[in-house]
Amino acid sequence: MAFEDIYQEYSPKIFRVCMGYVNDAEQARDLTQETFIAVWQNLPAFENRSKLSTWIFRIATNNCLRAIEKSNRIKTTDLPLSLPAIHEETQEEKLNFLYNCIAGLEETERIIISLVLEDLPQAEIASIVGMSNINIRVKIHRIKEKLSKKFKEHGQFE
Amino acid sequence: MDNLNDLKKIWLTADTNHLPDSNEMMQLIKEYRNRKILKKIALVITALLLTALMIVVVFTYHSTMLSTRIGEVCMIIAGSILIATNTNSLRRVYKLKNCTNKEFIEHLEQARRGQINYYKKTQIIGFSFVSIGLLLYLFEGVYENIVLCITSYSLLIIWLLINWFVIRPKAYKRQTKKFNDILKKTETVSKQF
Repeated sequence: MAFEDIYQEYSPKIFRVCMGYVNDAEQARDLTQETFIAVWQNLPAFENRSKLSTWIFRIATNNCLRAIEKSNRIKTTDLPLSLPAIHEETQEEKLNFLYNCIAGLEETERIIISLVLEDLPQAEIASIVGMSNINIRVKIHRIKEKLSKKFKEHGQFE
Repeated sequence: MDNLNDLKKIWLTADTNHLPDSNEMMQLIKEYRNRKILKKIALVITALLLTALMIVVVFTYHSTMLSTRIGEVCMIIAGSILIATNTNSLRRVYKLKNCTNKEFIEHLEQARRGQINYYKKTQIIGFSFVSIGLLLYLFEGVYENIVLCITSYSLLIIWLLINWFVIRPKAYKRQTKKFNDILKKTETVSKQF
C-alpha cells in the first residue's frame, strides 16, 4: 500500500484517536503529523508481522504516550456534570462533552476508549496496548460504566 | 452502556477536513525531518571537527612536554564521549520499534533512567577530561612568560570554576528535575497496565 493511500485512509482515524487522548485540536494535529512522519520513515522496513492498522495505531498511541514527556497539557475542563442539559445540544457540544469525559480518564483508558470508538476489534486493541484480551474486556467495561455515569449525570442517555 | 453506538456517532462527527492532504504531508515530512535532526547533527559534526583538529595537532605540532600530549589525549577522549553519546541519541530518533504501548512505556522508563545516568556520570567524566586536558595542554605554550602564564591560567581556572560550580549544577538540577518528573509520570502510566 502506498504512503498516500495509507495517509488518506488512516489520517482521520488517527486524528480522532489523538484528539480523544489530548483533547486539544492543535496538539492532535501535531501528533497526527508526527505519526505519519514515523509511518513514512519506517514503511520500507515494515514487516507484515502485524496488521498495518495495528502498526499505525501503535505508532500513534505511543506518540500520544510520549506527550507525557512534553508537558501536562491534557485539557480537563470542569463541567457542570450534575446539571441536566437545558437545551438541545449541537453535535459540536456533544462531541466536546465526549472529549471532556474521556479527558477525565487515565492515560491507558483514554487510548482504549478511543480505539473502541474507532471500531477496532478487542483483539486488535489488546495487541496495540499490550494487555490480554480479558484485561481489555474488563477495562472497556469499566470505561463504559464511567462514561455512562457522566453522560447520565449530564442528562443524556436516560 | 447500551449507548456505545450513540457515542460512536458523536465520535465520528469530529472535523478532519483541516488535516493536510497527502502532498502537503510530504512537504511537512521533509521540513520536519531536517529541523528535528539538524541541531544534533550540527553538534556531532562540531565535536567531530574539533576532535579531528586535535588529532591533526597531535601529529603536526611536535610538543616537547608530556603534559601537552596528555592534555591532547584528554581532549580527544572528551570529544569522543560527546560524539558517542549524541550519535546514540541520534540513532534513537531514527529507530522505531513496532511495539505495544506497554513495551513503549517500559522503553521510555529505561531511556529516562539512562538519561539521568548520563547527567550523573557521563557528563562529569567528559567535562573532567576537558578540564584536565585544557589545564595540561596550555602549559607548554605559556610557561616561559610568567605574566601570560598567570593571566591565561587565571582566566581558564575562573572559566572552569564557573562551569563546574555554577553552570553545570544549575543545568544538572534542572535536567534531573525534568527527568524525574517525567519518570514519575511514566511510572504512573506503567502501573495502569
